[in-house]
Amino acid sequence: MIENFLAGSAALFGDPVTIGIFVFGVIGGMLFGAIPGVSMLTLAAILLPFSAALEPAQGVMLFAVIYCTGTYGGAITAILFNIPGSPENAPTSFDGYPMTQNGQSGKAVGAAVLCSAIGGIASALIMMAATEPLAQWAIKNIGPPEIFALVFFGLIVAASVGARTIWKGWMSVLIGLLIATIGQDPVGGINRYNFGMPDLAAGIAFVPAILGFFAVSEIFVQAEKKASGKYKAPKVSMTFPSFLELWMHKLAVFRSILVGFFCGILPGIGATLAAFMSYGEAVRWSKKKEEFGKGKLEGVISAETANNAATGAAMIPLLALGLPGGALTAMMVAVFQMHDLQPGPLVFMLSPDLIWIVFAAMFYANLSILIIGVLETKTILNLLKIPFQFLAPLILMLATVGAYISRGLVLDVMVMFLAGIMGYLLRRSGFSIPGIVLGLILGKIGEQNFAQGMQMVHYDMGEYFSRPICTVLIIAGVITLISSIYRAFATSNKPV
Amino acid sequence: MGRLTRGSWIELGIFLLIVAVFYGFSFQFNQTIEIYIFGATAWPRVVIVLLLIATLGNLWFQYKNGSASQGTMGQSNDEPVDLSVPGTLPRMVAVLLTPFIFAYLLKPVGIYFSAPFFIAAIIWLFGEHRWKPIAIMTFVIYVIFIGLFLVILNAPLPQGNTSPFYDFSAWILTLNAKLQGL
Repeated sequence: MIENFLAGSAALFGDPVTIGIFVFGVIGGMLFGAIPGVSMLTLAAILLPFSAALEPAQGVMLFAVIYCTGTYGGAITAILFNIPGSPENAPTSFDGYPMTQNGQSGKAVGAAVLCSAIGGIASALIMMAATEPLAQWAIKNIGPPEIFALVFFGLIVAASVGARTIWKGWMSVLIGLLIATIGQDPVGGINRYNFGMPDLAAGIAFVPAILGFFAVSEIFVQAEKKASGKYKAPKVSMTFPSFLELWMHKLAVFRSILVGFFCGILPGIGATLAAFMSYGEAVRWSKKKEEFGKGKLEGVISAETANNAATGAAMIPLLALGLPGGALTAMMVAVFQMHDLQPGPLVFMLSPDLIWIVFAAMFYANLSILIIGVLETKTILNLLKIPFQFLAPLILMLATVGAYISRGLVLDVMVMFLAGIMGYLLRRSGFSIPGIVLGLILGKIGEQNFAQGMQMVHYDMGEYFSRPICTVLIIAGVITLISSIYRAFATSNKPV
Repeated sequence: MGRLTRGSWIELGIFLLIVAVFYGFSFQFNQTIEIYIFGATAWPRVVIVLLLIATLGNLWFQYKNGSASQGTMGQSNDEPVDLSVPGTLPRMVAVLLTPFIFAYLLKPVGIYFSAPFFIAAIIWLFGEHRWKPIAIMTFVIYVIFIGLFLVILNAPLPQGNTSPFYDFSAWILTLNAKLQGL
């Protein structure tokens, strides 16, 4: 492994063009992740056509680097503006944004920098050591029933996150699931809920929806505060967390790496569920549960470690099985195909150089988060000093381009603004935006894997319990559901 | 009526309407799929039924506890919509409608022509009414937008399909091509 890693490093740093592409990916991913209104997906969508002109290794490496640094960059906007750069950063905002409001933005961002780097590096190392054996294990043990079971568990966890009551948490997730049913059904390709609009046959695109629910709704919330005279400018703080503070959370970091890596390895699940589940586990294991959501450092640490730990793991199903775990890894499949390559078991035999350049680049990209991330953070924190009336139109313009660019449809811009209005009204009524988004993301994956799983077991649900991973996940989901139902019927404990 | 408020009834009405619309439209694609016995409607209808149960549960909770909250993870600090301050409602309606008008105009007018007006309108709606800062910041944001997406990234953006707006977009694109020596 070390020899291969050194060979990959030499290939990466031995060619000035490859170095240039690597640096561009690192800085571009961080910037697009950290600029409110656009995300790493916007940059990736813009760069996709140009990647055909690159060498195959350069093209795949560029997207892998953007994935690592963009996942970290999205934490900055989640913490500073309550606008997660991508869905995997949504749980980061639960405690990150309250920390900014309490004047601890530097501490939150500093923890995000360090934990993203730790999670990413740990994940990259495990990925290098274990991609092939893990892929073999995954082929044998992970099928549609397991993926459906994980989606089931993830949705139940999501229902208890972010809403004012458990009932509203469930309603949020179910609204997300309902939106996900718009477009063709994943089994027979039958058009559902297109309401006479042909563009809706392809479904609600994920990028405009997330931009609307997170970025645009936040602009509307701030607009209302401005109009009613309740707007308070966030407090800028450059105080980074001390080593001792971070050391006290070592267990949370370790647990988040495990959760992140496990979720990342499962095709179709990716970093989003990893961040939600890691946050959920942090709350579950904490003795001071009531402090979460009010600016607790452990919340930021858990979400950011897990989502970056999932980036390396997400490469395993992509490279070993050819299955993308999310939107960006799906674009990487397109890069492979542009160069007449097909990710899958054969790629390890046919293009080992490519694989090890990508692995080495991901390792160094996570390492560079530590160095460039701190410098970038100091610059980005200054964004908070810009009056919001000037920042708002810039965010809306960037979001408009971000929504339009991936499919070239004005409908997507409309969807984004509609999601923004929905998000604004639902947030103010105590619903959970992350719950809606997770329902939207996992809805189609859940339905597809449920259908495939049922076909596999000949419509006998009992067969699901003959599969150990599936059984554990379903039992964990049912226990969480029962405890959630108990809490839903228990009397309220926190009058507003 | 327990502790139910007008807001509770509005919320109930909206969610019941969503349930009814989605259930009603599910008959449009109620077809069998040869390889899958549950067909295309099973999944959405299960979601609809669960949403109905959750909506009624929410109503029951509000009947017993009003607007009280439960200890959920990472609960948002958002307060309920407050439109009691005079002038807030019309301004919020304008803030919510302006992006839609902008999005609607993207197809016929294009982004290059409509963007400055949209930027200026948003700055004005956010409370900046001095014309000099509005003009300067509109220019700065427009330059950042053009510089990033047109000059650096060459991103394909909506150009409009009616004259003279389409001609304006074409002029900007030609100018960019000349600047880059293409």
